[in-house]
Amino acid sequence: MSSDSSSSSSSGDESVEQNPDSNPKLVDERFDLLTLTEPVELEPNHHENGNEFANGSLNRGSNDGGAEDDQLRVENHEIFGDEGPASPSSSGYAGERGSSSASSVSGIGEVSEIDGNEIHEVRNDGSLEGISDSRASSWVPVKRQDDASISWRKRKKHFFILSHSGKPIYSRGDRVKSVKAGKHQVVFLVKGPIYLVCISCTEEPFESLKGQLELIYGQMILILTKSINRCFEKNPKFDMTPLLGGTDVVFSSLIHSFSWNPATFLHAYTCLPLAYATRQAAGAILQDVADSGVLFAILMCKHKVISLVGAQKASLHPDDMLLLSNFVMSSESFRTSESFSPICLPRYNPMAFLYAYVHFFDVDTYLMLLTTSSDAFYHLKDCRIRIETVLLKSNVLSEVQRSTIDGGMRVEDLPVDPLPRFGSSPHLGQQRPPTESPEGPREPCIGIGGPAGLWHFIYRSIYLDQYVSSEFSPPVSSPQQQKRLYRAYQRLYASMHDKGIGPHKTQFRRDENYVLLCWVTQDFELYAAFDPLADKALAIKTCNRVCQWVKDVENEIFLQGASPFSW
Amino acid sequence: MGCASSLPGGDLVGFFFLFIFFDRSSGRLTGLNNAENSGAPDAKNLRVKLVLLGDSGVGKSCIVLRFVRGQFDPTSKVTVGASFLSQTIALQDSTTVKFEIWDTAGQERYAALAPLYYRGAGVAVIVYDITSPESFTKAQYWVKELQKHGSPDIVMALVGNKADLQEKREVPVQDGKDYAEKNGMFFIETSAKTADNINQLFEVSLLKLPSDFHAHRLHDWRTEIAINQIDFNVLELHKL
Repeated sequence: MSSDSSSSSSSGDESVEQNPDSNPKLVDERFDLLTLTEPVELEPNHHENGNEFANGSLNRGSNDGGAEDDQLRVENHEIFGDEGPASPSSSGYAGERGSSSASSVSGIGEVSEIDGNEIHEVRNDGSLEGISDSRASSWVPVKRQDDASISWRKRKKHFFILSHSGKPIYSRGDRVKSVKAGKHQVVFLVKGPIYLVCISCTEEPFESLKGQLELIYGQMILILTKSINRCFEKNPKFDMTPLLGGTDVVFSSLIHSFSWNPATFLHAYTCLPLAYATRQAAGAILQDVADSGVLFAILMCKHKVISLVGAQKASLHPDDMLLLSNFVMSSESFRTSESFSPICLPRYNPMAFLYAYVHFFDVDTYLMLLTTSSDAFYHLKDCRIRIETVLLKSNVLSEVQRSTIDGGMRVEDLPVDPLPRFGSSPHLGQQRPPTESPEGPREPCIGIGGPAGLWHFIYRSIYLDQYVSSEFSPPVSSPQQQKRLYRAYQRLYASMHDKGIGPHKTQFRRDENYVLLCWVTQDFELYAAFDPLADKALAIKTCNRVCQWVKDVENEIFLQGASPFSW
Repeated sequence: MGCASSLPGGDLVGFFFLFIFFDRSSGRLTGLNNAENSGAPDAKNLRVKLVLLGDSGVGKSCIVLRFVRGQFDPTSKVTVGASFLSQTIALQDSTTVKFEIWDTAGQERYAALAPLYYRGAGVAVIVYDITSPESFTKAQYWVKELQKHGSPDIVMALVGNKADLQEKREVPVQDGKDYAEKNGMFFIETSAKTADNINQLFEVSLLKLPSDFHAHRLHDWRTEIAINQIDFNVLELHKL
């Protein structure tokens, strides 16, 4: 058995004939496998790290995880398929997992146990002190990451997109959505003929990981539309990999955003802070263009919205915006010249292509005009010229530049006395000169950051489907710390939205890293992180002030009165 | 220099009559009518729609960027959908010709959408990589596609790019020539990296356009001769 399992493909191929596709547990299918991995976390104090990473074979010091954060692998070979079919009579014990699970569904528990072994094996495979029995090789993909198997194993989270003609190993009855195995969690998402799998030891909640798989699937739909399913109907062995050619960078950028972009779990978008009048000017010309038959006109700076307008009754889902901007920003060619490209908005219509005219005004600022008409290019080009003229005339583009330099809300600038607010004169009501120092004496500042030990916050407006996040400032300064904070928010978000436990209104939680405070009302959700020693009463008081501050500057940080979003 | 053989240099006498000036700023200055077809109403300001097709990675974008911006970026990135670029050149008789160039993505998923870009094109430039026989096969696919679905009077150019990589050549010059001749195309090998034959590619494309495109210019004897010379040269080329 052990030799079978290590020589994967040959035995797998034989069994293709032996076993009809209908057997759901069969392992002999040819999988088109996309492996997506996320950045390695290098925090020294990361308790989530299993021992797996302590193996001598992992050269963590080399730190390539930091540099090439994400990677996507496109592979095309058997994964689940290597050993099982070769021995139909196998015992069914975990060791020969392919065949054991092939026998029946009976063992969801069994499956999970099996998986537990598997995943540890994935981690240990080839490492110095790993379990070096035959099972170690059962996940062929690991072995085949020949050029980078070490870096592959360094990742704490892996994503797979699989397709095959039968049913997935775990989906009989489609009840298994997630398997816990020690520190590892395996999450499955079945979308017709396409299976998405995430293996993670990041301790992110199931809902978060599932949401990430949904986004990866959405990204695929954005590129191909859901009509890809028809290819599988026609030909179960359809190889999807070439169709995704050249999009590795799109997926790796998306996966990277799971650890820095709160939009990925908040399902909301964020705006670039701008004076109300400036945003109005941009909105007006976009509206003008939308009235001439453009479905959506979106002006963005990196992942932040400057303004956006939809044709009547057309609504744009924040997730679609995330996927679209990720696609545009990660594809270098859009920056070279104006482009006209088919794209699909999965939440708008997963079956159909729209056509996107994309033009970059500068390195970070870009316009996307979406239409249903495939021959609208010249019209959209004209629209862009009109828009550009207006943006230049009304200084929108230079204001955008300035805003990116000035940044957003900073916890240090939280106004002490939020009430008397005059107009919108200072940037985000910061009143810089007067508030520079007097904060200290009034409120006990624990550590660094804002008053009362406030380190960071995110405010999500429910009606607007927008959020605003404060700038990171010390002590949450390194990317690792920022990522850890986002993970904490993510857990908080998941726990606040856990349908099983019921909706919470507030949550106060203290651990060795933070005090986290969450407050959900009908209108907004506030997530705030404080120094772990922060005083509870003061923290609550501070949250009230943050909310007031946000309300005071809402005209600058949110896009108001955008066309009704009615999803 | 490796590509000199592809379009026998000595035969190109005609080009001496065509002085082409590249006007890098004009892309912006020229007002854009919604005309989609090659040819133009204004006799002095001609417009040619040109589309590049071919496998991914053969250098379509590099050819265009070399022609339009005089740049070569060895790390240039995968094209998504299609990029639109334009370049206006001035001919000696003070006619200007604006090339409106669709640089299409070579990825398979965009193949079905190609008609979007080649519809109404006056010139189709089909590019392969001389180091990749697969890309040559793919080029032949595009030729057939255009013969079936393209406009009948579209000018087709077969371009073997990366001619600077002679030592890695896998598609013989003769194969390209033969295929082009059989299919009534003109053939040229280029190198976007060294800029070899890039301008020539666009110049010849222009001259191969149907005579009505040039008709208004026939009063100019130099142009006339140039066109005649080129036609002669193309015949020569086909004989080879």
